[in-house]
Amino acid sequence: MVRHHPSTDFLTEHAAGVLPVAQSACVAAHLSYCQRCRHLTERLEDVGGSHFEQLDPVPVGDSVLDRVLARLEDPEPLRYARSEASDTQLPGLLDRLINGDYADLVWKRVTQSLSISYLKTGDPQHEFALYRIAAGGRIPEHTHGGSEMTLVLQGGFADESGEYHPGDFLVREGWDKHTPVALEGEECICLAVLDAPLRFTRLRHRWLNPLLKLRAG
Amino acid sequence: MMEKTDPGTSPVANGSGKWNAPTGRRTDEWSEALVLIGNSQDRGAFTRFFRHFAPLIKAFALSGSSLSATHADELVQEVMLKVWQKAGGFNPEKAAASTWVYTIARNCRTDMFRRLQKFDTPLASDDFELESEEEESFVVLHTRRGSERVRELMGDLPPDQAQILGKVYMEGKSHSEAAAELDLPLGTVKSRVRLAIQKLQGLMEA
Repeated sequence: MVRHHPSTDFLTEHAAGVLPVAQSACVAAHLSYCQRCRHLTERLEDVGGSHFEQLDPVPVGDSVLDRVLARLEDPEPLRYARSEASDTQLPGLLDRLINGDYADLVWKRVTQSLSISYLKTGDPQHEFALYRIAAGGRIPEHTHGGSEMTLVLQGGFADESGEYHPGDFLVREGWDKHTPVALEGEECICLAVLDAPLRFTRLRHRWLNPLLKLRAG
Repeated sequence: MMEKTDPGTSPVANGSGKWNAPTGRRTDEWSEALVLIGNSQDRGAFTRFFRHFAPLIKAFALSGSSLSATHADELVQEVMLKVWQKAGGFNPEKAAASTWVYTIARNCRTDMFRRLQKFDTPLASDDFELESEEEESFVVLHTRRGSERVRELMGDLPPDQAQILGKVYMEGKSHSEAAAELDLPLGTVKSRVRLAIQKLQGLMEA
């Protein structure tokens, strides 16, 4: 049961197609876990549909219709299909970006219990990365210069404000300090979308900060 | 491609017809046209559909954007081709035809902007669509009513809220871009959108 959801601001911007691609991908991945937000999104798309049907029509020449009719028999573009080996628990969009198994990705080890793998979305403003935290492991206390969206994909973690499980979506802003700890028993994998780098706050971890500069794109 | 079924006996496009009672069907003209296109590749229905929707798609392409008339016509073509290709997946019990076309137009417009800006992404907007799912019939009925009530609600919205939703949905502006254009604080824009959406959530939970 998913208990933490994107704000209606994010869902509205997602339904209107105006969120940056990395954030939109994170919201879309949440939707594949959460029926409540899927239904709300359908209604939010109806808001778009009802504005759309009220637009003042702009005439379209018959030549455009002719060109479309002439192309109806063109073969359809190929669509991405899941590979048989893929983890079907994973939202299709992420399955596509990961393109295989978690183990096939390049993981950069940051601390003993934290590794990060950066995925390419092309978003020039946002880093889109998977965080892998060993069971029971801790991410050192940190802040963010900007905002961070997190979606739990596997396992779970707890921080100062609660406990999070697969499908849970949360946003941390600015200078909130937090210290997430993975739940015991299972490795935790999260998707994190950042618009500013993580900053460790404790003296003994600060030397790591230069390693964490934002990798957007 | 979808399986071909006899349009006379199967009113539902994609065969998920668990719910077939006559009251459960959306009966508007454009949904029926889409079902005809999906089930029997009916070019006449497609042409009627084009004449109605192409001018709306062009208006959508031109609203608040920097697209030229040529690009707007190109967008009309792309969207209408997708309508033809995807009509088999349209479920008249789940979505209104205009919402369905809107989501295709929204995705194509986003992709066109990204192409024009040489924005290099491995993701196309279609990748964000969820894999189709089976829904319980009561959920589907709920969905269909919800979609009708959203339209009633939008008609009753105060102009300041309707204006901002138009900026966001039709002109493709983020909340902060809408705030800058209307010379309003971001908080005001967000609260107007939220007020409108809260009514919508209220009717979902009713």
